[in-house]
Amino acid sequence: MTALLALDFTFLSDTWSFVETNFDELLAALRRTLQVSAIAIAGAFVIGLVLGAARAHRIPVVSQVAAVYVEIIRNTPILVQIFFLYYGLPQIDIFLDAYTVAWLAVMLWGGAFNTENFRAGFEAVPDRLREAGFALGFRPVANFLNVTLPVGGRIALPSSINTYISVVKNTSLMYVISYPELTTTVLQIQALTLETVEAFTVLALSYLIIVWTMSALIRLLESHLALPEAFK
Amino acid sequence: MIPAWTNDVLRYMLEQGLVNTLKIAAVALVGSVVVGVTLGTLLTIKFLPLRAVIRAYIEVWRGLPILVTIFIIYFALPAVSLSLRFDALTGAAIGLILWGSAQVAEATRGAVQSIPREQHEAASALGFGWVGRHAFVIMPQALRRLLPPLVSLLVNIIQNTTIAQVIGVNELLESGERSIERLNAPPPIGLGEIHSFEILATVMLIFFCISFPLTRLAAYLEKRLT
Amino acid sequence: MRRLVIVLVVTALAGVTIAAWGAVASARDAGPTQAKVKLPPLPANIKERKRWQIAVKCDTPPFGYIGARSQNAGFDVEIARWFARFAFGKPNRVTMSCVTTPAREPALTGERVDLVIATFTYNTDRETRIDFSRAYYKATGRLLVRNNSSIRSLADLPGKTIATTSGSVYERWVKNCHKDTKLIVTDGFTNAQLAFRDGRADALMFDDTILLGIAVTDPALKLTDDLFLAQPYGIGIKQGNVALKRWVDAALALMKKRDLFFPILKNTVPPRQVAPFSKNILRPNQNFAYNQGDITTVCS
Repeated sequence: MTALLALDFTFLSDTWSFVETNFDELLAALRRTLQVSAIAIAGAFVIGLVLGAARAHRIPVVSQVAAVYVEIIRNTPILVQIFFLYYGLPQIDIFLDAYTVAWLAVMLWGGAFNTENFRAGFEAVPDRLREAGFALGFRPVANFLNVTLPVGGRIALPSSINTYISVVKNTSLMYVISYPELTTTVLQIQALTLETVEAFTVLALSYLIIVWTMSALIRLLESHLALPEAFK
Repeated sequence: MIPAWTNDVLRYMLEQGLVNTLKIAAVALVGSVVVGVTLGTLLTIKFLPLRAVIRAYIEVWRGLPILVTIFIIYFALPAVSLSLRFDALTGAAIGLILWGSAQVAEATRGAVQSIPREQHEAASALGFGWVGRHAFVIMPQALRRLLPPLVSLLVNIIQNTTIAQVIGVNELLESGERSIERLNAPPPIGLGEIHSFEILATVMLIFFCISFPLTRLAAYLEKRLT
Repeated sequence: MRRLVIVLVVTALAGVTIAAWGAVASARDAGPTQAKVKLPPLPANIKERKRWQIAVKCDTPPFGYIGARSQNAGFDVEIARWFARFAFGKPNRVTMSCVTTPAREPALTGERVDLVIATFTYNTDRETRIDFSRAYYKATGRLLVRNNSSIRSLADLPGKTIATTSGSVYERWVKNCHKDTKLIVTDGFTNAQLAFRDGRADALMFDDTILLGIAVTDPALKLTDDLFLAQPYGIGIKQGNVALKRWVDAALALMKKRDLFFPILKNTVPPRQVAPFSKNILRPNQNFAYNQGDITTVCS
């Protein structure tokens, strides 16, 4: 029994010493993961909002182009999209470095899913609310900004949040282009020192902490932003 | 004017790469549904310890990136105990099942809880016990509501099989990569030519052709059932 | 008396027939080589299984790749097939599994395979966790540049960008010894070559075996004169498996004695490169050994 307890404690101290020894590298890697995620989430929000609105309002040309973009991204694996951006584009003379591909790939991916989220949200806004807006004298753009967007955006909140969390998780795929975010860095250290169990514990815990914190913060936000029953 | 090398490459990619992709996807789908529906249904039972354990399972496997899960199964488990070693294909399937079952469990819980209380009450009034009620009245309705998200899950699983490439599984993407390396080697092995753009584009096209009809199906089912 | 003679003759005839049948059978089984090979005993578990389980590369020509007919092929794969012939008489008595670079050590420590023959460079750090056979292929690092490049040797590297593959000895060496040189690491050699060809990198760093082929076919490119990271490949064996290491070393010695590496080389590299690379393999009058230490930290 005491042997088991001793085993647990050495495992914990080994994991801690793994973190201590490689602290600078791991911190830099964490910073990169969060930085890439932040840029991608912001971009995905904007893309989703703009293209989702275009699709919901059937704006010609933009709507069709957005549809093609969404269908291509949603129906192909994100790993292949990453390979394409990093290794395929140079064949047509577009050279992106690993950092650019990192945030661009997940931003384009998140933006496509978010477009669908916002489109569904905007289309779910009850007609009577929009008609009320017109009755109040709003022009179409103003109507969108004052009625459809606030209500539709809140309807779309749960699904867009899922997309943003997936964006953070998908940054781990930058392993394949060796961009030194969390997964790449931890695996590189593990390849040299073979402290397999400690490395993967640190890696798993890092992602769980990031994702769970994001979920908790967002649930707080959701309760503040919840739609009153009258609006549903 | 189709070049001669495409024949062998396409045959390798379809006969081995695509077959492995579909194999992993099939196993992962069945496993995810079986485990997920079970866990999701159990999650609706008002027994806190059970709910806590299942909730922890769901939050962990949904919170970790699939890449990290697969690495843990393939590299970390054997370091803990030699009997826990799996070959790459099995390891990838297990990783996808862990993630997929967490998704299905959450969706099942939502579907079961969306069945109105009246159904439970009517079934009880007719003399059904908990198991009978769920088996004959609740689950059939819940499973119908699960159908659109399940089709979406299948699409996601198929696309996520590419992640298995990093541990060396010969799925579609990896078969393309191996062909690229062989073609790039000088004769007598290959052609000494780089064809990564064409082969990657083909991989994307094949995935698109598989996923697009399924995505349309999911959208159609969603409309039909709501 | 007559009965005795008849019995003796029949027995003699039977004996001769059986002996002849045995000789024909073993000659047939042994394949394209002599019937008798004198090697140390195989470990019991491999002998029982009657098959090798060997890990090879599947995306690294010319050592381990998938051929046009979807079969494993390459220099390392041929060695695996010879081991199958030596141990069990048939070249197909081996199950080859594909490994990626980071999966090679875990394949041994996790007992997934008996041997790893996958461009496995020796270094003393790895030696603390697994065992290596004797050296079997001498690889040297080279630098490929454009003819008009300002890089004429390793000394011109600071500030420039080099492309190489991730997880390779080259990546570690540049990170340790050329800290002011930028690195592009890619997944697989073709992508590194693409990065160099498209101008993202000023130079391409990799094995001589592969770079020489490119330099020879493309007149606009050339190799610098630098030779570095000369560290042979070895066959990876699980640590402590002394019997297996003895067998493998003896098998490699046998292949060296019979000059069996030379025909393998001829099947793997273009004809013009057979002569220069014949210095990289084991031949009856050619030997090489490992350099001790971790060459990725030797920065002279």
